[in-house]
Amino acid sequence: MTHSMSLERRFWQRLRIVLLIVFGLAILLPITYVVLVSLTPDTEVGDGSIFPTHIAWDNYRLMWSTVHLAHDIGNSVLISGCTGVLATLVALLASYVLSRFRFRGRKPFMVSLITMQTIPQVMMLLPLFVILVIIQNALRVHLVGQYVTIIVTYLTFALPFACWLLLSYMANIPIELEEAAQMDGCTRWQVLTRIVLPLILPGMVVTFVFSFLLGWSDVLFASVLTTPSTQTVAVGLQSYIATGESGGSVFWGQLMAASLTSGIPVVVIFLFFQKFIIGGLANGAVKG
Amino acid sequence: MVDQSNVSISAQSISVRRDRRTRNRPPYWMIAPAVFLLAVIVAAPFLVSIYTSFTSLNQYSIGNWLHAPFVGLRNYISAFTQGSAIGASALQSLWVSVAFSLLTTLCITPIGIVAALLVNTPFRGRSWVRALFLIPYVMPVFVNAITWRLLFMNGWGLVDKVLAWLHLASVNTFWLIGPNSFWAMVIADVWSSWPFIYLMVLAGLQGIPNDLYESAYMDGATQVRCFFSITLPSLRPILSLALLLSTLNHFNNFTLPFIMFGTPPSPQADVLPLNVYVTSFQTFNFGLGAAMSLITLVLMMIPAYFYIRMLRLGEATT
Repeated sequence: MTHSMSLERRFWQRLRIVLLIVFGLAILLPITYVVLVSLTPDTEVGDGSIFPTHIAWDNYRLMWSTVHLAHDIGNSVLISGCTGVLATLVALLASYVLSRFRFRGRKPFMVSLITMQTIPQVMMLLPLFVILVIIQNALRVHLVGQYVTIIVTYLTFALPFACWLLLSYMANIPIELEEAAQMDGCTRWQVLTRIVLPLILPGMVVTFVFSFLLGWSDVLFASVLTTPSTQTVAVGLQSYIATGESGGSVFWGQLMAASLTSGIPVVVIFLFFQKFIIGGLANGAVKG
Repeated sequence: MVDQSNVSISAQSISVRRDRRTRNRPPYWMIAPAVFLLAVIVAAPFLVSIYTSFTSLNQYSIGNWLHAPFVGLRNYISAFTQGSAIGASALQSLWVSVAFSLLTTLCITPIGIVAALLVNTPFRGRSWVRALFLIPYVMPVFVNAITWRLLFMNGWGLVDKVLAWLHLASVNTFWLIGPNSFWAMVIADVWSSWPFIYLMVLAGLQGIPNDLYESAYMDGATQVRCFFSITLPSLRPILSLALLLSTLNHFNNFTLPFIMFGTPPSPQADVLPLNVYVTSFQTFNFGLGAAMSLITLVLMMIPAYFYIRMLRLGEATT
């Protein structure tokens, strides 16, 4: 009995090691290849050589001038940052009311919050674009391509998500503290800023990070609603591919270097917040 | 949803809480910004979308949009018959999308479960493995899409080279155009989205009490038996939520095919969001685009309904 048990255990241990290696390879091989290509001279990528003859650090230098990478990354930081801050603050107030009070329209509002997260984003973009163009034509103002426009439209998916995420954090804050504060004569606003805010701060940070990353990864809205001067890095990288589609040669080395440059910071932020991710994920759809 | 035990504890105090909540008049001004914003940027556009779907609004008539010809159900009919001028019809796209979202969810579920089981028990270097497992998922989708576009490049991409080297396929398999593009999309998507199931299952595994396994071990149950009799049934609630969300997310995935294939994609990879995008913003047929997105929305309401029911609004969790 014990003998067969240990045999079985050994089998599972071996299987675990084999599977870990398989998973590791499956994840690391594509990434390693990308890193290799990012260090390959552009002339060699199309030849199909896996290992470059010499390491082309030039790709990491040239990518800043071939496309406006620094400018685009700046735009991404600005747009995603504003989206994150706005979504978090508006959602803080909304989720506080939703979690602490029962009122008419509460449940329909919560149902619509979830429904909004299941709506295809392209379905929101079309009427938003039509409305923006109509307003533009009527008032002779420029809306498409403005930072404000893209930030506000990002809220269509960032805000419902932020509300939902903060609601789950609100639910875990004991209501007794707030009641005690009210007994002592605190107003609603004081209760929120002095009692709730310090406790919900970690939740707000996570909400901000997720909303920020939603904006950072968006391609759909940015590809329609930004102009070259306000475009985000997700759109900026497209111009590398666009040259290939119009008959030119794609600078694969630089493209991969630029992709890694715009992707690695996000990965680092995520890994930094790793332990919060599981909770955040289970509370709503993270990636649209 | 993460912590099942937590939920049941708060359920006990819920009746007390509910009484306390009703005592005060809610400060409506606090929720007003959210309601206002969502009304302006979600509800109003939604109504415009419905209106647009019954007109033949395009880039010429938008200057005089109030007089855009009213065409009744014609957009809905042509959505099912012809679709956009370039690319697949909406009906064809619908099947591509349904096949894509169901197939990828089907593929990532066992992968995610196995991965979660692999790292559930402690071993040396586990935190590194956990971080590694997250990387494909936390990398922005546009970076993953560019990566796979590179890997699937015809003739010199790594996939073609390896397949040719193993004598499994020609070096000119053409992954990014033609019938293979669907499979290229599925493979790329499976690679970048399996950690979603992994994370959900990992969260679910924390909630299974250890003594269940101990007593099963005492009774001489094998690992396989334990998995099917204890682990899988305990995971059922969170797993069904994960599968539902995964299907929804995959159905709405625009970025991956958009960047991998460009526009217009091959009909085999022309998923519905991409088709709506091309119809609306490249052929500027706003009316048809709106009709197609409303059809999508109606379809999305089926899984969304189950999602909302699963969250049990107004009960213990919130």
